[in-house]
Amino acid sequence: MSIVVRIDPTRCRGHAICALLFAEGIELDRWGYGRVLETSPSDARNTRRAQRAAIACPNHAVVVFDRDGRSDPSSGLGSSEG
Amino acid sequence: MTDIATSLWPTAVGASTGFRIGGLGDSGTWLLSGPPATDAPEELISHLARLGLPPVGDGIRASRAQVRESGLQGRGGGCFPLASKLDAALLAPGEPLVVVNASESEPASRKDWTLCCHRPHLVLDGAAVVAAIVGSGEVVIHLHRGATRATAAMERAIAERRAAGLSDPRWRVSLGPDRYVAGESSAIASLLQGGEARPLFSAVPMALRGPSGRPTVVNNAETMAHVGLITRTGVPAWRSGGTPSSPGPRLLTLVGSVPDPGMVVELIGQATIGEILSESGHGQRPAGVLVGGYAGTWIDGDIAWRTPFDRVALDCLGAQPGCGLLGVLPHGSCGLSETARLVTYLSAETAGQCGPCVNGLPRLAKAFSELAVGSLRQRGLRRLILLGDAIEGGGACRHPDGVVQLVRSALEVFMDDVARHVAGRSCRGAAHPPVFQVPGVNLRGKGWK
Repeated sequence: MSIVVRIDPTRCRGHAICALLFAEGIELDRWGYGRVLETSPSDARNTRRAQRAAIACPNHAVVVFDRDGRSDPSSGLGSSEG
Repeated sequence: MTDIATSLWPTAVGASTGFRIGGLGDSGTWLLSGPPATDAPEELISHLARLGLPPVGDGIRASRAQVRESGLQGRGGGCFPLASKLDAALLAPGEPLVVVNASESEPASRKDWTLCCHRPHLVLDGAAVVAAIVGSGEVVIHLHRGATRATAAMERAIAERRAAGLSDPRWRVSLGPDRYVAGESSAIASLLQGGEARPLFSAVPMALRGPSGRPTVVNNAETMAHVGLITRTGVPAWRSGGTPSSPGPRLLTLVGSVPDPGMVVELIGQATIGEILSESGHGQRPAGVLVGGYAGTWIDGDIAWRTPFDRVALDCLGAQPGCGLLGVLPHGSCGLSETARLVTYLSAETAGQCGPCVNGLPRLAKAFSELAVGSLRQRGLRRLILLGDAIEGGGACRHPDGVVQLVRSALEVFMDDVARHVAGRSCRGAAHPPVFQVPGVNLRGKGWK
């Protein structure tokens, strides 16, 4: 499945768990806030890791979308808005 | 349409005629033509006598084609093609929400305020056409709460239109907090949805799906006024008022060392920044010109003087037309001190949401202020530059990126001053009074509703 990972910067508080769980796709800025690496391939393994990062983020800042821009239901998260 | 075009716009600009600059009520202007700058907003009768009725019914189909062919780009700062926004809204499910962004958060810009206060019906005409194109029955006009005169003018204009029975959408006036980022389009959409007037993160463009779930089309007041204009002039005449890459006439606000800071002029045709400034009574070449807004880009005075005010020409210098602000910095003043005050203002005016604004901007403002007063040395300067790289690209809105762009352009344009300041030598502009006015930042008790 093809996915798009986004970090909602209005929610990110620099817990940095996402970068531990999904180091291939998320790097940390100098304050420990996540930034998505656009270069990581969206294969099955990365999809699984991205979803794990999304679930683990205490602020629900990591959002996994399918290509239609919908929040991936299997990540157990709502929409990105609000 | 052709008859109106030739009678009302007799001086459609060709390559030979170059350009024209005019203020409110000047003959030869398009957006600003009409009654002079008296206190009263133009009445509906006068407006319709001047321009005729806006299109309705079947005319809307033609208007949609006109908007597309015009190539009109948003005049709020993003330069986004209006037609693409409207196409997205038409594509997405649900009745679109149309918003006129008349909040003009840019502290030095006065163009939208001028339009609302003096040509409210041109803005409303355009908004009505946009609403009809996307099939929306309601338009929200959003202003800052402090803009009482503009609000009164818009409300009066709406009442006039209701009394006259124009086939308009429902109008709703919305007032938001007087804060800089509260005028950003997703912040307005958030407020309208019952949230706070702070920018939102979204992976989908608002024109496809806004926070309400409906497609949300937010357009700057000047952009709407252009739609009202294009339906009267026709596409070729309107386009001839600009350049191929920035079609149509444009409103500019001139601030800083100009005869009448805050003056709004309309540029018709292609002109260099030097021509615009000379024509507006500022004949001297400045040390630098701040282009596009307070979170804009500095251009060296001599280079700016011969640069056309055009999207592509400015892009070559890393600048954008933005909201059409031209800030003139005179020789003998200190560009670094001016920039420090702007950066301090802008870094205090964040929504305090995202990492780059929370962590980065206060540090950037502190470091730049140190540079301005001469207490920053070479290593600190290097840290300042790296700080900009760390901030860029990480926010929900473009606010932090805009501040970084301002800082980078200042370091480049005022390179000689940077060297003097870092070396601890005296600043040549230390005694010069401040050129750019920044509003006092007193956020105490200011909410986000």
